[in-house]
Amino acid sequence: MYDIIDALLNRTLGLSWPGWIIALISHLAVTTLLFVIAPLQMLFLTYYERRAIARMQDRIGPNRVGPAGLFQPIADGVKMFTKEDIVPTAADKWVHFLAPCVVVAPTMLMFAVLPWGPGMVPTDLSVGLLFFFAISSISAVGLLMAGLASSNKFALLGAMRAVAQMVSYEIPAVLSLLAVVMLTGTLSVVQVIEAQAGLFISRADVPGIPDLGLGWFIFTPVGFLAFVVFFIAALAEGERTPFDIPEADSEIVAGYMTEYSGMKFGLFYLAQYVLNFLLCAIAAVIFFGGWQGPGVNWLYAQAISPANPDGNWVFNILAGFLGVFYLLAKTYAFFFVMVWVRGAFPRLRVDQLMDFGWKFLIPLTLVNIVSAAIWVALLRWGPEQGITFTQSWAPILRWGVAFVVTLAVNVGAYIALARIFAAAQAGQGRIDLDEYRDTLTATLR
Amino acid sequence: MATVIQIIFGLIAALVVGAAVMVVTVRNVIHAALWLIACFFGVGALYMLLEAEFLAVVQVLVYVGAISILILFAIMLTRQVTGEGVRQLVGGWRLWLTAAISALLFAVAIVPTIISHAWNLPAPPGPPGTPEPLAGVAELGRAFVYEFLLQFQVAGVLLTVALIGAIVIAFEERARRRRVLTLAEEYELRKRLAQPPPVEAPAGEPAPAPRATPISEGEAHQ
Amino acid sequence: MTAAVPLEAVLVVAGALFCIGLFGALSRRNLVGVLMGIELMLNAVNVNLVAFWRYLEPRFITGQTFAIFIICVAAAEAAVGLAMVIAIYRNWLTVNADAVDSLKG
Repeated sequence: MYDIIDALLNRTLGLSWPGWIIALISHLAVTTLLFVIAPLQMLFLTYYERRAIARMQDRIGPNRVGPAGLFQPIADGVKMFTKEDIVPTAADKWVHFLAPCVVVAPTMLMFAVLPWGPGMVPTDLSVGLLFFFAISSISAVGLLMAGLASSNKFALLGAMRAVAQMVSYEIPAVLSLLAVVMLTGTLSVVQVIEAQAGLFISRADVPGIPDLGLGWFIFTPVGFLAFVVFFIAALAEGERTPFDIPEADSEIVAGYMTEYSGMKFGLFYLAQYVLNFLLCAIAAVIFFGGWQGPGVNWLYAQAISPANPDGNWVFNILAGFLGVFYLLAKTYAFFFVMVWVRGAFPRLRVDQLMDFGWKFLIPLTLVNIVSAAIWVALLRWGPEQGITFTQSWAPILRWGVAFVVTLAVNVGAYIALARIFAAAQAGQGRIDLDEYRDTLTATLR
Repeated sequence: MATVIQIIFGLIAALVVGAAVMVVTVRNVIHAALWLIACFFGVGALYMLLEAEFLAVVQVLVYVGAISILILFAIMLTRQVTGEGVRQLVGGWRLWLTAAISALLFAVAIVPTIISHAWNLPAPPGPPGTPEPLAGVAELGRAFVYEFLLQFQVAGVLLTVALIGAIVIAFEERARRRRVLTLAEEYELRKRLAQPPPVEAPAGEPAPAPRATPISEGEAHQ
Repeated sequence: MTAAVPLEAVLVVAGALFCIGLFGALSRRNLVGVLMGIELMLNAVNVNLVAFWRYLEPRFITGQTFAIFIICVAAAEAAVGLAMVIAIYRNWLTVNADAVDSLKG
């Protein structure tokens, strides 16, 4: 964007403004674009979810407002704007007011490191992946603020449960990404995408693979297990069924959102859908190549880019469109899976939820990290790190051996951990009735 | 460009110091915790300005995303029953003494030492405008497994010990709270209370076997 | 950054933060408030270290590793400290530092 604005202002129009003004204008333009895109995504996703979940529940869903109900989200927005904004008298005014802002702001900030196409990332931080999850952990503070300020016991309980859930499931999410970071050796999101060029086998592993943009990490055992764990953790982070205790209307009124109405409730709603969109998008980026797909790299190689300053600007637009199309297709596919899971599964109890996160997902991610280490050792290391027996093998043989070994380790660990977890959960329900015999004899007689 | 950086640094410093002053002076401890979060953000921004990006992100992740939540949870679980009338700061001459000590420490000990010391800043590597070689995330990772391996492992052990210790200290005994029986369990218990309890033989018979089956059947039907 | 802002400025900010944290830790009655003062002091030390890293030895990573270890230790200490505060609350039903004085005198 800096280059585009620079070319526009300095070369085409002949002005010669200093570099920092161009940078300021380009950043403002990108920010405005993102602030327009995020709510539009959220509106579309609410409509998409309501139609999809209705079809799964043998209903039709919103189909009155506009053609096939497409303007329903706008009607929802109008409703939320016009509702009265009630603040309880005993509530802490400023904290009650700021809580929705603290929940929404991080979701907007997370767009800063999401690449939409080749060369189309707002900012390529060298620690982009960690930035993404660090910022997402800020919204938990907003939830606590909402619960504390409402002076309502249900809100407080709901906030504590919601924060316990979000904080517990951040760990499997980040640890599963750690395996991918080990595979690529970088925390930058752009480089993670670029390492996924190839054809079912990443180019970084076996050089010489034809580049069809399909060398995704999902096709490796490490990436597959990491994706499964990450997707479940993302369901819990975004408070979707089966982890939607915080907004389970039948259980705890509306949890931390009980005392909010009108636009403040609308902000919580917006934050939830935008966060889910971002989690689906980052899953697509890390495990499914993001904007990588057949054709994008070929198009971008002929476009204007830092590596190729005399490209053709038409290819920029084509590569951009194709890249954004691939990213959005993958993201909406994952969001459909999230809606599908919502239609299929009942809700987990809060203690089942915590047990599942801490006692099953985290050991699984730790095993995955060991697998990632084995993968890196077999594929990338050489005599200077002490691995000499792989030197004489062809790269494709090294890839094959790494694939088989990590597949065995991951599948074996999954089976073992699943058995242990199932046995532990089954053993919990048992209560020794004789223990209660004496203490309850008096009350029952 | 230099003035822009100075203005940004001034704003961040104002945020950090202002939020810190609010932390130590507000009455409501929840508000103090929220000002503390603002101060942590300011410190993170300062790290970003000092080009320590990984540290800035870790600051936000650990301090804002975890320690602040811990503090808010602790405040939530330890609300005073007497309400907000409790004095938050020590009273009278002790408060002024503490303030005087802090101010004197700052004005007499810290600031003159900083200003009068001759820091041997390294010479710039080239003409002004050349980027300096900065250590980044990759060097950090290598440092943790090569030079600082022992410290890294000890930090891991420390965190594990702290985790277990915190759980043990704040643990609430399960046995103190009796679990409410489900309907099936209560029915089972009533049924068995209706039969007279078996007399224990002095030879110490093992637990009667026929009783084991109804338990498992009853619970299997739940 | 090093050309625009002198090292002394960043160190003075860190020093101010440290003194404010000291004041908070000594004058607050709420135990959680005392802990917040301690966290301020630890942050001040971290700012100090990172400033020294950036201005004096930016090619070596030692300054940042020290800061990361301090963050680890601060997290561990906050966890254990707050667990103790909760245990105290469970026994005395108060977290006022003046009321928890059964070892006094």
